[in-house]
Amino acid sequence: MHSWRPVLAVAALSAVLGGLTGCGNDTGNGDTAAAATASGPWSFNDGSGKVVKADKTPTRIIAHAGEAAALMSFGIKPVGVYADESVKTDPNLKSLDLTGIEILGEEWGKIDVEKAAALRPDLIVGDWWPAEKAHSGMEEGVDEKSKKLAELAPIVGVTQGKSIVALAEGYEDLAESLGADVASPQIAANKKRFEDAVTAFKAATSAKPDLTVAAMSPSTEKVYVANPEYAPELLDLQTWGLKVINPASPDPAFPYWENLSWENADKYQPDLILWDGRSFTPTANAEWSTKQPTWSKIKAAKVGATVSWPAFWLHTYGDFATELDKLTQAVKAADPNVGN
Amino acid sequence: MSATNQNGTRTSTGGVRRASALGPGLAVLCAVLALVGFLSVTMGSRSIGLSEVLHALFSFDSDGPISSTVTLEMRVPRTLLGILVGAALGVAGAILQGVTRNPLADAGILGINSGAAAFVVFAITVLGVRGVGVYVWFAFAGAIAALALVYAIASLGREGATPVKLALAGAAVTAGLASVTSGIVMTNVDALDELRFWQVGSLAGRYTPILTGVAPFLLIGLAASLGFGRAINGLALGEDVARGLGQNVTRTRAAAFAVVAILAGAATAACGPIVFVGLVVPHLARFICGPDYRWILPYSMLLAPIVLLLADVLGRVAAAPDEVQVGVILGLIGAPAFIAIVRYGRLSEV
Repeated sequence: MHSWRPVLAVAALSAVLGGLTGCGNDTGNGDTAAAATASGPWSFNDGSGKVVKADKTPTRIIAHAGEAAALMSFGIKPVGVYADESVKTDPNLKSLDLTGIEILGEEWGKIDVEKAAALRPDLIVGDWWPAEKAHSGMEEGVDEKSKKLAELAPIVGVTQGKSIVALAEGYEDLAESLGADVASPQIAANKKRFEDAVTAFKAATSAKPDLTVAAMSPSTEKVYVANPEYAPELLDLQTWGLKVINPASPDPAFPYWENLSWENADKYQPDLILWDGRSFTPTANAEWSTKQPTWSKIKAAKVGATVSWPAFWLHTYGDFATELDKLTQAVKAADPNVGN
Repeated sequence: MSATNQNGTRTSTGGVRRASALGPGLAVLCAVLALVGFLSVTMGSRSIGLSEVLHALFSFDSDGPISSTVTLEMRVPRTLLGILVGAALGVAGAILQGVTRNPLADAGILGINSGAAAFVVFAITVLGVRGVGVYVWFAFAGAIAALALVYAIASLGREGATPVKLALAGAAVTAGLASVTSGIVMTNVDALDELRFWQVGSLAGRYTPILTGVAPFLLIGLAASLGFGRAINGLALGEDVARGLGQNVTRTRAAAFAVVAILAGAATAACGPIVFVGLVVPHLARFICGPDYRWILPYSMLLAPIVLLLADVLGRVAAAPDEVQVGVILGLIGAPAFIAIVRYGRLSEV
């Protein structure tokens, strides 16, 4: 049993999707870089720090879920995809047209390597996890058989660290190196939308300098408070002026969260709760208020100041723009005098 | 060899235990339980001053400050649930060990946990049920169904549900249900998440609705269980002897199993499979009382909630502001305790 995986789960995904270090190779936003030649030779600075080289530019790519979505947003279509859950529910993949793409796995740690081999891939793409020193799908605890995927072709990925923007830029660079035209109008439109979303978000937060938020995930046993240090999108939000509370004592063994017993649910009093998007529903707040007597002792919960937080999955400008717009609305609607 | 003491209590082997000592012993245990219950209400992962706790208890104002909410709506129901569930598991374990003459018997060995888990997983995956408050009933139904199945399988054949057949049927049903459960869980991450937390065994997050839901079953089961002392004493001599003494062995066993199904089923449904209490506490009780089940049953009923609540309090204060599930604490202290009993105790006297 992958005891780490589930809900804390939340955590697991965070472990898998979680931290970015900004060691992405910086090519000045990539906008000006010339389109790579289709033939090669090809090279990419992997998140691990290694430079991966090939004589020819890879064309048959197998990618992990969010990474595949990122490449597809630049018009690079992988031949195979492996996800950690059903591709119908994976937030990165559920709205994408996956026809013609082989699904090689829909559960964390399990990849059908035989099927993958039949695709004759020449590149595997998965995020680099600095904390675990492994690419997505190759982490500690996965099926040993799954790891053989890495023997089929070189594996590269952008490092998960301090910013979703850095992650998106890294995949833009990778897509460009693979021959994508990153200056195409649709891509430019997504980026413009993202930049507008950031501008609007910054305006909203600077209008409410005293507004504080906490990213939380209630569960039957405990309340989890996210540690922005290991949640790149929360670090981005902090950069753009939102005061996301840094929990005082994250779980040393699993620093993605501080765990609060229900008796201590009111330890933090934000003005607005960013609710883990994997469990957020419009009725969740009312449900938890009746289930857990202390949930409504968080003043923001009592007045219903909650918004879904895109926890640990974002990879693209487009998705981030969409989620950011929702957060901007919530910040505008929030009352900065709810919490302490 | 039998001896009769001044209250007419018969003990069937050497070492006469005096009711004059065991009776007051029960009173002492009641006092200890009350004390532990008080600790469980006053101590926890949130530090609340004694005066605030007392204020909450006497003012009964749960809309007041959070210290009142925590005391009245969380700690009090949690403590009451711990007392009832602990008592149920302790006495159910004692009955099972006596009826099956198997020193390793507890609710788990007869398929109760695996039945409850299978039904919980079924409820999550097929019916889309979420939340402890709902699947408590599926767990209850699953526990009873599994135990009924075990008993039915063991009853096949001329000699009825003998201890050996019960143990084998329990193992077989447990294995079968566990493989179904893990089969589903491996393909459904949601079910795994939910099951993982249920399966540890915990008193946390379970408040008044769950307490009032299972309390009637537990109270009826506990009351009924105390009537089994004499019958189990008879069974302990061996079935032939029991029959010779005029007991209807089959009926006794069936009735005992029904009571165990209600007790352990409701307890497991409410808190998940809590380990070691049902296994270790009856041995502890036997160590104190000797082999007379008329004493072992009430002693188990009082000792078990003391152990359970102490473990729960420990888990709550040790990791504050976090909490450790009582199932984890019991596993940690239960294993060495059981080894100590095996080493120094009297397992063979079941």
